[in-house]
Amino acid sequence: MSNILELQHVSKKFDNDLVLDDLCLEVKENTFMTLLGPSGCGKTTTLRIIGGFITPDQGRVLFEGKDITNLPPNKRQLNTVFQKYALFPHMTVGENIAFGLKISGKSDEYIRDKIKYALKLVNMDDYANRDVTMLSGGQQQRIAIARAIVNEPKVLLLDEPLGALDLKLRQDMQYELIRLKNELGITFIYVTHDQEEALTMSDTVVVMNQGYIQQMGTPENIYNEPENAFVATFIGDSNILGGIMLRDKLVRILGVDFPCVDTGFGENKPVDVVIRPEDVILGEAGKGQMDGVVSHLIFKGVHYEMEVQAGGFEWLVQSTSMFPVGQPVSLSVDPFNIQIMNKPESEDEEAVVVDV
Amino acid sequence: MKNFLKRFYLIIILLFLYLPIVTLIVLSFNNTKTMGVWKGFTLKWYQEMFSNPQVLNAFCNTLFIALIAAVVSTVVGTVACVGIMALSKRQKNTVLQLTNIPLLNADIVTAVALLLAFGMFGISLSLGTVVFAHITFCLPYVILNVLPKLRQTGTIHFEAAQDLGATPVYAFLHIVLPDIMPGVFSGFLLAFTMSLDDFIITYFTRGAGINTISTLVYSQVKVGIRPTIFALSTVIFVIVLIVLLISNFLPEKVEKAKEKAEKEGRELTPEQRRKRRTAKKVGYGVIAAAVAAVCILASPYVGAMAGKGEVIYFYNYGDYIDPDLISAFEAETGISVVMDTFDTNESMYPIIEGGQVSYDLVVAGDYTVEKMIENKLLQQINYDNIPNAANLEPSYMEILARSDPGNQYMIPYAWGTVGILYNKTMIPEGRITSWKDLWDPELAEYGILMMDSLRDTFMVAEKILGYDMNTKDPEELQKVVELLIVQQPLVQAYENDTARDDLITESAGLGMIYSGEYLYCLDENENLDYVIPEEGTNVWFDCFVIPANAKNKEGAEKFINFLLDAEAGLATFDYLTYPTPNAATMQLIEEDIREDENVFPSQETLDLCDMYHYLGKEGDLILASYWKRFRGN
Amino acid sequence: MFKKKWLTAPYLVFILCGTVIPLLAIVYYGFTDQEGHFTLANITAIADEEHAKALGLALLLALICTVVCLLLAYPVGLILRKHAGGKKGFVVFILILPMWMNFLLRTFAWKALLANNGVINGILGSLNLDPIRIINTPAAVVLGMVYDFLPFMILPIYNVMAKIDNNLIEAAYDLGASGKTVLTKVLLPLSMPGIISGITMVFVPAVTTFVISQFLGGGKIYLIGNIIEQEFTLNGNRQLGSGLSLVMMVFILISMALLNKFDKNGEGSIV
Repeated sequence: MSNILELQHVSKKFDNDLVLDDLCLEVKENTFMTLLGPSGCGKTTTLRIIGGFITPDQGRVLFEGKDITNLPPNKRQLNTVFQKYALFPHMTVGENIAFGLKISGKSDEYIRDKIKYALKLVNMDDYANRDVTMLSGGQQQRIAIARAIVNEPKVLLLDEPLGALDLKLRQDMQYELIRLKNELGITFIYVTHDQEEALTMSDTVVVMNQGYIQQMGTPENIYNEPENAFVATFIGDSNILGGIMLRDKLVRILGVDFPCVDTGFGENKPVDVVIRPEDVILGEAGKGQMDGVVSHLIFKGVHYEMEVQAGGFEWLVQSTSMFPVGQPVSLSVDPFNIQIMNKPESEDEEAVVVDV
Repeated sequence: MKNFLKRFYLIIILLFLYLPIVTLIVLSFNNTKTMGVWKGFTLKWYQEMFSNPQVLNAFCNTLFIALIAAVVSTVVGTVACVGIMALSKRQKNTVLQLTNIPLLNADIVTAVALLLAFGMFGISLSLGTVVFAHITFCLPYVILNVLPKLRQTGTIHFEAAQDLGATPVYAFLHIVLPDIMPGVFSGFLLAFTMSLDDFIITYFTRGAGINTISTLVYSQVKVGIRPTIFALSTVIFVIVLIVLLISNFLPEKVEKAKEKAEKEGRELTPEQRRKRRTAKKVGYGVIAAAVAAVCILASPYVGAMAGKGEVIYFYNYGDYIDPDLISAFEAETGISVVMDTFDTNESMYPIIEGGQVSYDLVVAGDYTVEKMIENKLLQQINYDNIPNAANLEPSYMEILARSDPGNQYMIPYAWGTVGILYNKTMIPEGRITSWKDLWDPELAEYGILMMDSLRDTFMVAEKILGYDMNTKDPEELQKVVELLIVQQPLVQAYENDTARDDLITESAGLGMIYSGEYLYCLDENENLDYVIPEEGTNVWFDCFVIPANAKNKEGAEKFINFLLDAEAGLATFDYLTYPTPNAATMQLIEEDIREDENVFPSQETLDLCDMYHYLGKEGDLILASYWKRFRGN
Repeated sequence: MFKKKWLTAPYLVFILCGTVIPLLAIVYYGFTDQEGHFTLANITAIADEEHAKALGLALLLALICTVVCLLLAYPVGLILRKHAGGKKGFVVFILILPMWMNFLLRTFAWKALLANNGVINGILGSLNLDPIRIINTPAAVVLGMVYDFLPFMILPIYNVMAKIDNNLIEAAYDLGASGKTVLTKVLLPLSMPGIISGITMVFVPAVTTFVISQFLGGGKIYLIGNIIEQEFTLNGNRQLGSGLSLVMMVFILISMALLNKFDKNGEGSIV
């Protein structure tokens, strides 16, 4: 698969505020790529640079190998689904969808067919003559998508399109989007701050913070092997602890030695350790690797969430079995579930952690 | 009860706001030009409106200026708003502060600032300067209306349209503009309204012959307003009312249907939806049609302005020439006469001196002519072009030669005296003999009127005190001012030409007046009588002069010649009712009028009288400072 | 989107030629004598007895006018806030509409209404009431000012009032506030931008007017506006007129400062 889109060394400042710093990104054809990060991380700026609404201060944007850095948005073979839909309020559903087609001078017949096809695609068959302002949020969202895809873009940009919908609708739309992507066979670049959305839909997740790409990979890869503390905290819940790598495959945390599977960190090196809450196994006191006392308990439906005081640290633990508050318990962790990370060295990386 | 009180309060406020408007509308149907008396229903002012070129001209000017100013400021302002959105915060603040200046600035400061700036760059005043000034003060209203709408709309629809392949211009016109249209529209409307309602800025920046309704009203107020202008204003008001009602409330009604449907959670029927769209279109359409109608109305006039051919710009006292004579002259020669008016010599002089407005022919009082000659503001009249000058009474020419040796610069138009007009039903005949009667507390209850004219007002006190009416002695002037201040509590009003209306309607019992008003007043109210006080008075000549910067001297001379014809002189006399200096005309005047000493005073009376003279620059300054001392008291 | 800063260019030309340069011109004339030499005399002339008196009278009348307008307009704002919710367009319409009858004529009409033998006295007379004799007095001038400028007080107050969230009022009542407390502690502070904007929109034109005093004052009320006008139209002393105008600019600067302080977001505009 070749790169359909490429960002090369892109930087952007707003009023002396560096939003993107030397960003490089390659997007393969026919993938669902998600830019994930907290607000202000530069993900929307990246999307807008791709869309042509912002010109980068430095760097180039390549589309199918051609430089489009200075091409205005109306000349790009991309379409965007905007955060708040941006449907034109003075036009009907049909007129909204026809807008781009009319500009490119398509015949009336073609436009009519396209509107029909697009509405069918988003399951809103009979809505062509409706007033857009009278539609619900989910319906408006579908129309916004329909309006974008009738133009047959090679890349569809989606800027937090589900942000304004309620939970149930959001989950439905996630499946809908995956289906659409597979039917259309085009590249989706999706921006969100919702990690669950990113993990559910994407082929590739790009985690961003402070204008840098923190990690890029498959959802599994990002979740299971976060490369730094920021990614670890941002994706799912984590226990992040300071530790010392005594030697290969053995790390000391809170004065207790835990066997692990990581190698190559050297001996007696300070490191960060990530342990996911569902990976902490609770048991009868004295029967695990260390002992502690349950301090909080919440029922979450699928599982219980507990906080356990052990070794002077408050562990977050998720378990299907319940231990009441005040009960002494033991903690243990499978060596495969201990993720070792280098301590941050540069100040920038430090800042990343502090900010979270 | 509480609600009743609230409603009552609102009604009182509305009544307050609309009372004068109702009054004006009623007066436009009143069968007299004297305000305050109902003399029966008439439509004659509406008829006159269409036949009076001055009124039509002012009407077209007003609409033309308002339309151009509103259109230009709407376009420039809307475009600027798009640009302002791109500015950095600091730049934006600076621009918005500057935008606020014309809005907050006092009109008079804005007006004189513009006048001075035009003067500094040697731009002579014209229709263009007025339009420019109007655009300047209309722009903030557009920005104020459009910018918030644009902020509210934001960039999102604009970007979406571009994303779908629209060019920025297409996206702006088809997506952003419809969205901000209500703002643009109300900006346009407000700009149009403000321009239409403006007086002060127009007054200071207009060129020769440019009258709007406002400036016409202002000049007429001083000489007695003609109800024609009430009729015109009524017509404008009613048209605007209808246009706005249709454009505002038709779409609103349909909009309500939509809201109702939404509330009930149902879709609009296609029928309703179609109606809604048409209503919106009709709303804007009505406005567009009105604008188009104005353009069509104004276009022949604008065309006429451009290709008018030979023109004389004539600067005259208000209501001081028979309009039929102007029409006759225009018909005879094909030269158009564009007339502006002033109310006193003192207000005319700075305009001529300033040179920013150029007139071809001016009517000026004798002492002002002396001042103009001295300051080289006039050019010599070519008598070869004025054979009718032979009609002039030689003895008057001799008198004038004292001010203007050889009669090189001035040709008399009318003359007269200043005296007291009083109402015989209130004050017994023969009771008024002296200027001192104007200081009589017993007569004050009838209402005493004084002139608001430096030389004339001072003259009265000077005569009482036995001073020369051309004194510039500070001690004497101090006494004059003191005497006038003593009189102040007794005076009902200081006014010039409007005094006659107050006397006719018996709102006042006696007052200073120019002798020529006497015959007119007598016609309207036979209880009035005129007296030349025993101390004597001023005899004055109003003369034609040609300013040095006149562009059509020959045309002006043709016009003078036309007016000096014996018959034309008679028409002038009938209209002005001021004594004529035209010996040939005298022969044509009925004998009983010719022998009325109030109109043509006897030689003994005239011997008591004197003429004003120009007192030199320093004399003028002294007079002005004492005048201010009196007026500011 | 809007990246095109140059679109402001035509407007900036108008600001420059129509606002900035004329103000510089007035400053130039204000600080020079008739021979073009620098002088402060035109500015200090405001202290001359006749000028100071006219300014004092103008300030007094404008102040009375502003207070009266505020007292009349605020209840209107309160009533309309409650009862004219969806009819904003109509309210503005009703208040702007009189402007379509020429400003001078509207003022002039008061002359006919108030004249000693005028309409109002005619009505009073037929009711056997004593006539009012206020034409040609300061009272008539104040009445004319209030009449001409009242809409400019009502509109900003109403515009701010209309934006006040009803929940705030309900919250205040819910927390135990009386009607009076709601008015003084909630409505009044929240409508401050409108009040300030209204005050500047009324006071500045009132203090500088010359038409109203001329029409309704019978030539007996002489305000600073009349002096400035006459320096230009009668005495031809542009320098003195400019100097006095500059003094009037002080009030404009005060207004701008007030607006910047109390009405930062322009909520209290008349539109």
